[in-house]
Amino acid sequence: MEFSLLGAAAVAVFAFWAMLRWEAKRGNAAGCAVDLWDAALVSAAGGLLVGRLVAMTQAGINPITDPGQILLVRSGVSTPAAAIATLVIFTFVARRDLVTAADAIAPAALAGLAGWHAGCIVTGSCLGTESSLPWARALEGSDVTRHPVELYTAVGMAAAAILLALWKAHGRPPPGSVAGTALFAAGAMRLVTEPMRVSLGGGPVWLYGAAMIAGAAITVGSVVRRRRSVRR
Amino acid sequence: MSRITAVAVFVLAVAASACSAPPAGPLPDAPTPTTLEEIETELAASTTPTVVNVWASWCLPCRSEAPLIADAVAAHPQVRFIGLNVRDSPGDAQAFLGEFLADVDMEHFADRGGRIPIELGATSGVPVTFFYRAGGDQAAVHLGIIDEPTMARLLDEIDR
Repeated sequence: MEFSLLGAAAVAVFAFWAMLRWEAKRGNAAGCAVDLWDAALVSAAGGLLVGRLVAMTQAGINPITDPGQILLVRSGVSTPAAAIATLVIFTFVARRDLVTAADAIAPAALAGLAGWHAGCIVTGSCLGTESSLPWARALEGSDVTRHPVELYTAVGMAAAAILLALWKAHGRPPPGSVAGTALFAAGAMRLVTEPMRVSLGGGPVWLYGAAMIAGAAITVGSVVRRRRSVRR
Repeated sequence: MSRITAVAVFVLAVAASACSAPPAGPLPDAPTPTTLEEIETELAASTTPTVVNVWASWCLPCRSEAPLIADAVAAHPQVRFIGLNVRDSPGDAQAFLGEFLADVDMEHFADRGGRIPIELGATSGVPVTFFYRAGGDQAAVHLGIIDEPTMARLLDEIDR
Protein backbone atom coordinates (compact mmCIF):
# COMPACT_ATOMS: atom_id res chain seq x y z
CA MET A 1 0.00 0.00 0.00
CA GLU A 2 1.28 3.43 -0.88
CA PHE A 3 0.46 6.45 1.23
CA SER A 4 2.55 9.19 -0.37
CA LEU A 5 -0.59 11.02 -1.61
CA LEU A 6 -1.67 11.36 2.01
CA GLY A 7 1.73 12.91 2.69
CA ALA A 8 1.19 15.44 -0.09
CA ALA A 9 -2.29 16.19 1.28
CA ALA A 10 -0.78 16.71 4.74
CA VAL A 11 1.67 19.27 3.29
CA ALA A 12 -1.27 21.07 1.65
CA VAL A 13 -3.33 21.12 4.85
CA PHE A 14 -0.33 22.37 6.84
CA ALA A 15 0.35 25.17 4.33
CA PHE A 16 -3.33 26.18 4.44
CA TRP A 17 -3.39 26.12 8.24
CA ALA A 18 -0.12 28.06 8.55
CA MET A 19 -1.32 30.84 6.22
CA LEU A 20 -4.71 31.06 7.92
CA ARG A 21 -3.01 31.30 11.32
CA TRP A 22 -0.52 33.91 10.09
CA GLU A 23 -3.34 36.01 8.67
CA ALA A 24 -5.50 35.58 11.78
CA LYS A 25 -2.86 37.43 13.79
CA ARG A 26 -3.35 40.39 11.43
CA GLY A 27 -7.09 40.60 12.00
CA ASN A 28 -8.14 38.46 9.03
CA ALA A 29 -11.88 37.82 8.65
CA ALA A 30 -12.84 39.92 11.67
CA GLY A 31 -16.61 39.67 12.03
CA CYS A 32 -16.94 37.02 9.31
CA ALA A 33 -19.97 34.84 10.01
CA VAL A 34 -18.36 31.73 8.50
CA ASP A 35 -15.90 29.33 10.16
CA LEU A 36 -13.17 29.33 7.52
CA TRP A 37 -11.52 26.09 8.62
CA ASP A 38 -14.80 24.14 8.51
CA ALA A 39 -15.81 25.69 5.19
CA ALA A 40 -12.45 24.82 3.64
CA LEU A 41 -12.45 21.22 4.86
CA VAL A 42 -16.04 20.54 3.76
CA SER A 43 -15.42 22.15 0.35
CA ALA A 44 -12.14 20.34 -0.29
CA ALA A 45 -13.46 16.95 0.83
CA GLY A 46 -16.66 17.38 -1.19
CA GLY A 47 -14.72 18.53 -4.25
CA LEU A 48 -12.35 15.58 -4.00
CA LEU A 49 -15.26 13.14 -3.74
CA VAL A 50 -17.05 14.63 -6.76
CA GLY A 51 -13.81 14.66 -8.75
CA ARG A 52 -13.17 11.01 -7.93
CA LEU A 53 -16.73 9.95 -8.79
CA VAL A 54 -16.55 11.76 -12.14
CA ALA A 55 -13.15 10.19 -12.92
CA MET A 56 -14.51 6.73 -12.10
CA THR A 57 -17.57 7.24 -14.26
CA GLN A 58 -15.43 8.51 -17.15
CA ALA A 59 -13.24 5.40 -16.82
CA GLY A 60 -16.30 3.14 -17.01
CA ILE A 61 -16.17 2.08 -13.34
CA ASN A 62 -19.49 2.15 -11.57
CA PRO A 63 -19.23 3.84 -8.14
CA ILE A 64 -22.38 2.07 -6.97
CA THR A 65 -21.25 -1.47 -7.76
CA ASP A 66 -17.58 -0.74 -6.93
CA PRO A 67 -17.77 1.64 -3.93
CA GLY A 68 -14.39 0.47 -2.62
CA GLN A 69 -12.69 2.06 -5.60
CA ILE A 70 -13.78 5.53 -4.50
CA LEU A 71 -10.90 5.36 -1.99
CA LEU A 72 -8.33 4.66 -4.74
CA VAL A 73 -7.72 8.35 -5.28
CA ARG A 74 -4.39 7.72 -7.00
CA SER A 75 -6.07 6.12 -9.98
CA GLY A 76 -7.59 9.45 -10.94
CA VAL A 77 -9.54 12.53 -9.90
CA SER A 78 -11.20 14.77 -12.48
CA THR A 79 -9.55 18.17 -11.91
CA PRO A 80 -12.33 20.23 -13.55
CA ALA A 81 -15.08 18.43 -11.63
CA ALA A 82 -13.17 18.66 -8.34
CA ALA A 83 -12.35 22.36 -8.79
CA ILE A 84 -15.88 23.36 -9.81
CA ALA A 85 -17.47 21.25 -7.05
CA THR A 86 -15.13 22.78 -4.45
CA LEU A 87 -16.13 26.31 -5.48
CA VAL A 88 -19.85 25.43 -5.58
CA ILE A 89 -19.73 23.76 -2.15
CA PHE A 90 -17.80 26.70 -0.68
CA THR A 91 -20.33 29.13 -2.14
CA PHE A 92 -23.11 27.16 -0.46
CA VAL A 93 -21.37 26.68 2.89
CA ALA A 94 -20.28 30.34 3.11
CA ARG A 95 -23.46 31.82 1.63
CA ARG A 96 -24.22 33.90 4.76
CA ASP A 97 -21.10 36.04 4.25
CA LEU A 98 -19.67 34.87 0.94
CA VAL A 99 -17.53 37.82 -0.17
CA THR A 100 -15.88 38.34 3.22
CA ALA A 101 -15.26 34.60 3.63
CA ALA A 102 -13.87 34.26 0.09
CA ASP A 103 -11.45 37.15 0.62
CA ALA A 104 -10.46 35.79 4.02
CA ILE A 105 -9.74 32.29 2.77
CA ALA A 106 -8.21 33.08 -0.65
CA PRO A 107 -4.50 33.45 0.32
CA ALA A 108 -4.71 30.35 2.53
CA ALA A 109 -6.35 28.40 -0.30
CA LEU A 110 -3.53 29.43 -2.64
CA ALA A 111 -1.00 28.42 0.01
CA GLY A 112 -2.77 25.06 0.34
CA LEU A 113 -2.57 24.55 -3.43
CA ALA A 114 1.12 25.48 -3.28
CA GLY A 115 1.56 22.89 -0.54
CA TRP A 116 -0.23 20.28 -2.64
CA HIS A 117 2.16 20.91 -5.55
CA ALA A 118 5.19 20.98 -3.23
CA GLY A 119 3.98 17.60 -1.96
CA CYS A 120 5.44 16.18 -5.19
CA ILE A 121 8.62 15.82 -3.14
CA VAL A 122 6.76 13.24 -1.04
CA THR A 123 5.11 11.52 -4.02
CA GLY A 124 8.23 11.70 -6.21
CA SER A 125 6.38 13.34 -9.08
CA CYS A 126 7.96 16.79 -9.41
CA LEU A 127 9.54 16.41 -12.83
CA GLY A 128 8.17 17.40 -16.22
CA THR A 129 9.62 17.88 -19.68
CA GLU A 130 13.30 17.72 -20.56
CA SER A 131 15.45 20.71 -19.62
CA SER A 132 19.13 21.64 -19.47
CA LEU A 133 18.70 24.39 -16.88
CA PRO A 134 21.09 24.18 -13.92
CA TRP A 135 18.34 23.22 -11.48
CA ALA A 136 16.85 20.52 -13.72
CA ARG A 137 16.83 17.06 -12.15
CA ALA A 138 16.79 13.53 -13.55
CA LEU A 139 14.70 10.54 -12.56
CA GLU A 140 16.57 7.84 -10.67
CA GLY A 141 18.79 5.87 -13.04
CA SER A 142 18.27 8.33 -15.91
CA ASP A 143 20.57 10.88 -17.52
CA VAL A 144 17.67 12.96 -18.90
CA THR A 145 17.30 16.09 -16.78
CA ARG A 146 13.84 17.63 -16.43
CA HIS A 147 12.02 20.75 -15.20
CA PRO A 148 10.87 20.42 -11.56
CA VAL A 149 7.56 21.78 -12.86
CA GLU A 150 5.51 21.06 -9.75
CA LEU A 151 7.96 23.09 -7.68
CA TYR A 152 7.66 26.01 -10.14
CA THR A 153 3.89 25.92 -9.58
CA ALA A 154 4.32 25.64 -5.82
CA VAL A 155 6.72 28.60 -5.65
CA GLY A 156 4.49 30.75 -7.89
CA MET A 157 1.36 30.02 -5.88
CA ALA A 158 3.14 30.53 -2.54
CA ALA A 159 4.48 33.89 -3.73
CA ALA A 160 1.00 34.92 -4.90
CA ALA A 161 -0.48 33.84 -1.55
CA ILE A 162 2.02 35.92 0.44
CA LEU A 163 1.55 38.98 -1.80
CA LEU A 164 -2.24 38.72 -1.45
CA ALA A 165 -1.98 38.40 2.33
CA LEU A 166 0.25 41.47 2.48
CA TRP A 167 -2.12 43.40 0.19
CA LYS A 168 -4.99 42.52 2.51
CA ALA A 169 -3.03 43.50 5.61
CA HIS A 170 -1.51 46.75 4.37
CA GLY A 171 -3.77 47.92 1.53
CA ARG A 172 -7.51 48.32 1.41
CA PRO A 173 -8.53 45.93 -1.37
CA PRO A 174 -12.16 46.23 -2.55
CA PRO A 175 -14.40 43.38 -1.30
CA GLY A 176 -14.04 40.37 -3.59
CA SER A 177 -10.82 41.51 -5.23
CA VAL A 178 -8.53 39.27 -3.14
CA ALA A 179 -10.59 36.17 -3.99
CA GLY A 180 -10.73 37.17 -7.65
CA THR A 181 -6.99 37.76 -7.84
CA ALA A 182 -6.32 34.42 -6.12
CA LEU A 183 -8.51 32.62 -8.66
CA PHE A 184 -6.67 34.40 -11.47
CA ALA A 185 -3.28 33.51 -9.99
CA ALA A 186 -4.17 29.83 -9.53
CA GLY A 187 -5.35 29.54 -13.15
CA ALA A 188 -2.36 31.50 -14.47
CA MET A 189 0.22 29.41 -12.62
CA ARG A 190 -1.27 26.19 -13.94
CA LEU A 191 -1.59 27.58 -17.47
CA VAL A 192 1.98 28.92 -17.56
CA THR A 193 3.49 25.65 -16.31
CA GLU A 194 1.26 23.36 -18.42
CA PRO A 195 3.70 23.16 -21.40
CA MET A 196 6.33 21.81 -19.00
CA ARG A 197 4.14 18.95 -17.77
CA VAL A 198 4.18 15.48 -19.28
CA SER A 199 0.76 13.87 -19.61
CA LEU A 200 -1.03 11.29 -21.69
CA GLY A 201 -3.81 13.52 -22.95
CA GLY A 202 -2.95 17.10 -21.92
CA GLY A 203 -4.31 19.02 -18.95
CA PRO A 204 -7.65 20.86 -18.76
CA VAL A 205 -6.29 24.12 -20.22
CA TRP A 206 -9.83 25.46 -20.67
CA LEU A 207 -10.33 25.25 -16.90
CA TYR A 208 -7.21 27.31 -16.20
CA GLY A 209 -8.26 29.88 -18.82
CA ALA A 210 -11.77 30.01 -17.37
CA ALA A 211 -10.36 30.51 -13.85
CA MET A 212 -8.22 33.40 -15.10
CA ILE A 213 -11.15 35.07 -16.89
CA ALA A 214 -13.51 34.60 -13.93
CA GLY A 215 -10.88 35.82 -11.47
CA ALA A 216 -10.08 38.89 -13.57
CA ALA A 217 -13.79 39.67 -13.98
CA ILE A 218 -14.41 39.43 -10.21
CA THR A 219 -11.41 41.66 -9.43
CA VAL A 220 -12.22 44.29 -12.05
CA GLY A 221 -15.89 44.23 -11.02
CA SER A 222 -15.01 44.80 -7.37
CA VAL A 223 -12.67 47.70 -8.22
CA VAL A 224 -15.32 49.37 -10.43
CA ARG A 225 -17.97 48.93 -7.72
CA ARG A 226 -15.66 50.51 -5.12
CA ARG A 227 -14.96 53.54 -7.40
CA ARG A 228 -18.65 54.07 -8.07
CA SER A 229 -19.50 53.98 -4.38
CA VAL A 230 -16.68 56.44 -3.61
CA ARG A 231 -17.99 58.90 -6.28
CA ARG A 232 -21.46 58.77 -4.78
CA MET B 1 -39.70 4.66 3.13
CA SER B 2 -41.02 7.69 1.27
CA ARG B 3 -42.02 7.42 -2.36
CA ILE B 4 -39.14 9.68 -3.47
CA THR B 5 -36.58 7.50 -1.64
CA ALA B 6 -38.04 4.36 -3.19
CA VAL B 7 -37.86 5.88 -6.68
CA ALA B 8 -34.29 7.05 -6.06
CA VAL B 9 -33.21 3.58 -4.90
CA PHE B 10 -34.89 1.99 -7.93
CA VAL B 11 -33.19 4.41 -10.36
CA LEU B 12 -29.79 3.85 -8.73
CA ALA B 13 -30.24 0.07 -8.86
CA VAL B 14 -31.15 0.21 -12.57
CA ALA B 15 -28.21 2.50 -13.29
CA ALA B 16 -25.86 0.22 -11.38
CA SER B 17 -26.98 -2.91 -13.14
CA ALA B 18 -26.84 -1.19 -16.54
CA CYS B 19 -23.32 0.10 -15.91
CA SER B 20 -22.03 -3.24 -14.70
CA ALA B 21 -23.55 -5.36 -17.45
CA PRO B 22 -21.05 -7.83 -18.97
CA PRO B 23 -19.77 -6.76 -22.38
CA ALA B 24 -21.54 -8.12 -25.41
CA GLY B 25 -19.72 -10.43 -27.85
CA PRO B 26 -17.15 -13.18 -27.35
CA LEU B 27 -14.65 -12.96 -24.50
CA PRO B 28 -10.99 -12.25 -25.38
CA ASP B 29 -8.56 -15.16 -25.29
CA ALA B 30 -7.22 -16.18 -21.90
CA PRO B 31 -3.64 -15.03 -21.19
CA THR B 32 -0.99 -17.41 -22.56
CA PRO B 33 1.00 -19.26 -19.87
CA THR B 34 4.64 -18.17 -19.83
CA THR B 35 7.92 -18.49 -17.92
CA LEU B 36 10.53 -16.04 -16.67
CA GLU B 37 12.95 -17.14 -19.41
CA GLU B 38 10.37 -16.49 -22.13
CA ILE B 39 9.58 -13.03 -20.77
CA GLU B 40 13.26 -12.11 -20.45
CA THR B 41 13.94 -13.35 -23.99
CA GLU B 42 11.00 -11.29 -25.29
CA LEU B 43 12.29 -8.16 -23.52
CA ALA B 44 15.88 -8.62 -24.69
CA ALA B 45 14.79 -9.14 -28.28
CA SER B 46 12.42 -6.19 -28.27
CA THR B 47 13.37 -3.37 -30.63
CA THR B 48 10.82 -1.03 -29.05
CA PRO B 49 10.34 0.21 -25.48
CA THR B 50 8.17 -2.15 -23.47
CA VAL B 51 5.84 -1.79 -20.51
CA VAL B 52 4.93 -4.86 -18.49
CA ASN B 53 1.84 -4.38 -16.35
CA VAL B 54 1.20 -7.05 -13.73
CA TRP B 55 -2.48 -7.58 -12.95
CA ALA B 56 -5.00 -10.05 -11.54
CA SER B 57 -8.76 -10.25 -11.73
CA TRP B 58 -9.05 -10.38 -7.92
CA CYS B 59 -6.97 -7.20 -7.52
CA LEU B 60 -9.24 -4.20 -6.83
CA PRO B 61 -6.68 -1.50 -7.75
CA CYS B 62 -6.02 -3.33 -11.06
CA ARG B 63 -9.62 -2.68 -12.06
CA SER B 64 -9.14 1.00 -11.33
CA GLU B 65 -5.81 1.09 -13.14
CA ALA B 66 -7.01 -0.64 -16.33
CA PRO B 67 -8.52 2.49 -17.97
CA LEU B 68 -5.20 4.30 -17.53
CA ILE B 69 -3.36 1.40 -19.16
CA ALA B 70 -5.81 1.62 -22.07
CA ASP B 71 -5.14 5.38 -22.37
CA ALA B 72 -1.39 4.80 -22.29
CA VAL B 73 -1.61 2.18 -25.04
CA ALA B 74 -3.59 4.61 -27.19
CA ALA B 75 -1.22 7.53 -26.49
CA HIS B 76 2.01 5.57 -27.17
CA PRO B 77 1.40 3.22 -30.10
CA GLN B 78 5.16 2.80 -30.61
CA VAL B 79 5.54 1.27 -27.12
CA ARG B 80 4.83 -2.42 -26.66
CA PHE B 81 2.50 -3.18 -23.74
CA ILE B 82 2.47 -6.60 -22.14
CA GLY B 83 0.00 -7.69 -19.49
CA LEU B 84 1.19 -10.28 -16.99
CA ASN B 85 -1.71 -11.97 -15.23
CA VAL B 86 -0.64 -13.58 -11.94
CA ARG B 87 -2.16 -16.13 -9.56
CA ASP B 88 -5.42 -16.21 -11.45
CA SER B 89 -7.71 -18.67 -13.18
CA PRO B 90 -8.04 -18.48 -16.99
CA GLY B 91 -11.78 -17.89 -16.74
CA ASP B 92 -11.51 -15.02 -14.27
CA ALA B 93 -8.68 -13.47 -16.31
CA GLN B 94 -10.79 -13.69 -19.47
CA ALA B 95 -13.72 -12.02 -17.73
CA PHE B 96 -11.44 -9.21 -16.49
CA LEU B 97 -10.03 -8.65 -19.98
CA GLY B 98 -13.53 -8.65 -21.45
CA GLU B 99 -14.73 -6.06 -18.95
CA PHE B 100 -11.73 -3.70 -18.78
CA LEU B 101 -9.25 -4.26 -21.62
CA ALA B 102 -11.33 -5.78 -24.41
CA ASP B 103 -10.31 -3.47 -27.25
CA VAL B 104 -6.83 -2.60 -26.02
CA ASP B 105 -3.93 -3.57 -28.27
CA MET B 106 -1.69 -5.49 -25.87
CA GLU B 107 -0.58 -9.08 -25.34
CA HIS B 108 -1.36 -10.90 -22.10
CA PHE B 109 0.61 -13.71 -20.51
CA ALA B 110 -0.19 -15.76 -17.43
CA ASP B 111 2.05 -16.61 -14.50
CA ARG B 112 -0.01 -18.94 -12.33
CA GLY B 113 2.65 -19.15 -9.60
CA GLY B 114 3.22 -15.39 -9.43
CA ARG B 115 7.05 -15.68 -9.28
CA ILE B 116 7.93 -13.73 -12.45
CA PRO B 117 7.23 -10.21 -11.07
CA ILE B 118 9.40 -10.98 -8.02
CA GLU B 119 12.24 -12.18 -10.27
CA LEU B 120 11.88 -9.02 -12.38
CA GLY B 121 12.27 -6.82 -9.30
CA ALA B 122 8.84 -6.35 -7.71
CA THR B 123 8.87 -6.19 -3.94
CA SER B 124 5.12 -5.90 -3.37
CA GLY B 125 1.88 -7.36 -4.64
CA VAL B 126 -0.15 -6.38 -7.69
CA PRO B 127 -0.46 -4.08 -9.49
CA VAL B 128 3.15 -3.53 -10.54
CA THR B 129 4.37 -1.87 -13.73
CA PHE B 130 7.82 -2.39 -15.25
CA PHE B 131 9.29 -0.01 -17.82
CA TYR B 132 11.97 -1.22 -20.25
CA ARG B 133 13.96 0.57 -22.90
CA ALA B 134 14.41 -1.11 -26.30
CA GLY B 135 16.73 -4.07 -25.79
CA GLY B 136 15.37 -4.99 -22.37
CA ASP B 137 17.19 -2.49 -20.12
CA GLN B 138 14.90 -1.91 -17.12
CA ALA B 139 14.28 1.83 -16.65
CA ALA B 140 11.84 1.80 -13.74
CA VAL B 141 9.60 -0.33 -11.58
CA HIS B 142 6.41 1.22 -10.23
CA LEU B 143 4.94 -0.62 -7.27
CA GLY B 144 1.22 -0.28 -6.65
CA ILE B 145 -1.40 1.55 -8.62
CA ILE B 146 0.13 4.02 -11.05
CA ASP B 147 -1.21 7.52 -11.62
CA GLU B 148 -1.43 9.40 -14.91
CA PRO B 149 1.50 11.82 -14.41
CA THR B 150 3.84 9.00 -13.35
CA MET B 151 2.78 6.82 -16.26
CA ALA B 152 3.26 9.71 -18.71
CA ARG B 153 6.67 10.62 -17.28
CA LEU B 154 8.02 7.07 -17.30
CA LEU B 155 6.71 6.46 -20.83
CA ASP B 156 8.44 9.68 -21.91
CA GLU B 157 11.60 8.36 -20.26
CA ILE B 158 11.70 5.06 -22.21
CA ASP B 159 10.13 6.29 -25.44
CA ARG B 160 12.82 8.69 -26.68
